Amino acid sequence: MSLDDDDIPTAAPAAATASADPGAELGMTADDALEEQPQDFRNFTSQFRKSTHISAQTIRRGEKDFEAHGTRLQDNALEQSRQAMTEVLSYTRVHTQQNWTRAWYFPDWWTDYVEEEEDEEQKQSQTEKKPYAHVRDRVVVVESSSVASQNLGRAITGQAKDRPARGKDWLLPEEALYLLERGSLDLWWPTRGMEEVFSAEAPAAKGEGNDLLAESDAAPVITDEVDEYEMGFPLSVQAAYSLLIGNDGERGKVSLQKFQVYSNLKRAGYNVLRNINNHILALAILPPHPLTTHLPLPPHPYGPLLQPGLYRSYNPIYRQLALLPRHKPSALPSSPWQPADPFAVHYYVWKSSQKWSKTRQPPPDFFLAVVDAQQTAVPSLEEIAALLDATPAAPARPEWAGPGRLYARLKHGHRNVLVAVVDHGVINYMRFAEGAFGEEELFGRRYEKGSFGQLRAAHVACGEAADSDRELTLFEILMLHLAATLGWDGRAGGRFGLVSYLDGAIRQQ
Amino acid sequence: MMASSGTAERQVRISRIAGRYLVFDIDDVAYIRRHHGICAVFTGTMPQNPTQNVFLGLPVELYAEEAKLLVDKKAGYIADDLADHLSQLKALDPAARAAYFQSLKTQRRNAQLVIDEDKAKSLARHMERRKAATVQPDTRPSEVAAEAPAIAEGDSLFDAPPTKRVSPPVAVAKDQTSLALTPTTSSTLIVPQPTSSAAIEVPSSYPLYAYLNQRGYFITPGLRFGGDYSVYPGDPFRYHAHYLANSYEWDTEIPMLDIVTSGRLGTAVKKSYLLGGQAPEQDPVVGSEKTSGEVRVFCIEWAGM
Repeated sequence: MSLDDDDIPTAAPAAATASADPGAELGMTADDALEEQPQDFRNFTSQFRKSTHISAQTIRRGEKDFEAHGTRLQDNALEQSRQAMTEVLSYTRVHTQQNWTRAWYFPDWWTDYVEEEEDEEQKQSQTEKKPYAHVRDRVVVVESSSVASQNLGRAITGQAKDRPARGKDWLLPEEALYLLERGSLDLWWPTRGMEEVFSAEAPAAKGEGNDLLAESDAAPVITDEVDEYEMGFPLSVQAAYSLLIGNDGERGKVSLQKFQVYSNLKRAGYNVLRNINNHILALAILPPHPLTTHLPLPPHPYGPLLQPGLYRSYNPIYRQLALLPRHKPSALPSSPWQPADPFAVHYYVWKSSQKWSKTRQPPPDFFLAVVDAQQTAVPSLEEIAALLDATPAAPARPEWAGPGRLYARLKHGHRNVLVAVVDHGVINYMRFAEGAFGEEELFGRRYEKGSFGQLRAAHVACGEAADSDRELTLFEILMLHLAATLGWDGRAGGRFGLVSYLDGAIRQQ
Repeated sequence: MMASSGTAERQVRISRIAGRYLVFDIDDVAYIRRHHGICAVFTGTMPQNPTQNVFLGLPVELYAEEAKLLVDKKAGYIADDLADHLSQLKALDPAARAAYFQSLKTQRRNAQLVIDEDKAKSLARHMERRKAATVQPDTRPSEVAAEAPAIAEGDSLFDAPPTKRVSPPVAVAKDQTSLALTPTTSSTLIVPQPTSSAAIEVPSSYPLYAYLNQRGYFITPGLRFGGDYSVYPGDPFRYHAHYLANSYEWDTEIPMLDIVTSGRLGTAVKKSYLLGGQAPEQDPVVGSEKTSGEVRVFCIEWAGM
């Protein structure tokens, strides 16, 4: 039987035989909810009890099969999986008094709020100034902070003292919905104005506290329950989705795809904040990336490819042979295009860390764009270049210098951005990096410390001449160089095969 | 929420929110999985275990194809949830309001019962462990003495909390106000009827979807394997996907490279690459669009591995 059933047989008889005095009293209160069917009671318990058996075994039972073979064993396994699913998902979010955090939905409170665009001078002059916070999109106000919500939301400062709900945290739609879904927030629909809700707030909370203290005092009367919904009432998850999920660009809403990505990252423990529009450069000023400064000489419109002259090393020759200009990453944005939806940075993502707080963060670890799998194609050069330029330069780590970490450097790139592709709830993260193969000179470094001995070893490694005493002919050397420069290895067909042979040969010396 | 009527006349509420199709009711989800071969994708956070991404909960996000299929089969209806909620929330008539509050209260009371029961059980377990651990006379006999016999009788675990409370009726009434609850669906607030007249825009792959669904295949998004759909021979709880499927228009020229790449990819993940499309109707009669042309499906396996 299902693991979940373990506790139910013990629970069901307990309720059924609750014929003792206090038990009868409890049974009476349950009467109007239950139709007195044992099956219902099973559902009813799993509806409110946090099942502790959510594990892979609960839903996925054993190895999957290739196809149906019509056995009862298979049918039973499937049936149990389905029942486990139903039971686990029938759970209703319950908040006990201790961890109850109530929030109110006030979609139009900040409609007219004008947020000051923070420019760089301000940032330097007054460091206390809070960053741009999407205030107009904040539609949910939280009464009190909890552990789950302390890294979310933002209090809007600089408000008049008599303004209601002053100093309260306001949540973005995705934050509110995420908290609600994880059972950490009780979202209420207000039936009164903000002034009334929050003027009544403080005394009401105190009153409840007093009730707790004076537990056995006066019996609370039924009218209390009526009062409790006077200012508003709780909303369901479904209602919260319909109020908070919207199309891209709707104020006070978030698209379903973005919400799915947001909550996926939050569940995984990342800190996620909405993009601060156009403020990326302020935090992107890094010391200029030391680039090799040579530029390809302009090719001559006539004459030989290689200018006649005296060459003492191969490097000038190779530079003249580099006819096509290569992309050169720079610390400042260099592309003439502007990022546009959907290929724009939507979220900043941080790995979870102690140092992170919602008002003060280190530079983001990741920059994330969210796209829909059905509605978008692979980004064009314009789109991806603009998107990459919206992120700060992220050169390879200094300890990656040298020939050994060539591929690590190439893979890391000079800027990078994550693109979350969402296909109806299935999310795929992809990383795009600004690659610069032209920055990795394959020809130069060999000759700076090179010798014919190395080349011979390389030649041997290529398997072309086993006879290591033989001097290489100039033609062979040239061919080797050419192959290395072009990244071509005729024998193996791999683009970097020969290069790595040469690298290996050098390290052996 | 628990109103599980007969399966025949069950109408699944498909909430259209910002152009996406969501199902919030677990009974609906189980129903379409069981009777219509639609498993869709769980997208919500599980409140019981909110820090993992392996098992997700409600709501379920449907393909537009799936929504259309259910509506066409008269097994579901599309509701414009935002409009429904706003109209209900803004102008809540007293009767509906009372009904909604009543349902909330009932659920809270039930939840309280379960919590009390759990508390009593854990208390009982704790007591028994303590009793077993301390063989010598206990230092605080008063409470244990009061509790232990009740447990020892073993007829009802509900005995435990009332013996502790001074006056049970007050305690229960108190508990009623101390619990808050977030229902999963708004079924007690909004009217269960179709409210969205907008047609369901389905992608051109709909015929292939309907064809596979009709033959008992389960379909999930194909993003993981690089196709339009991943196709399972039965419920994905039990089976691995057999195919990754792409849909093409009847007269589309399919680039050979697509077939090679998808074929190789499919074989590499132990699936066959399935491609299909719908033929246009032979003699297009006036008024009937090319909807009923036959669907042809082919499988490609990469043999040169």
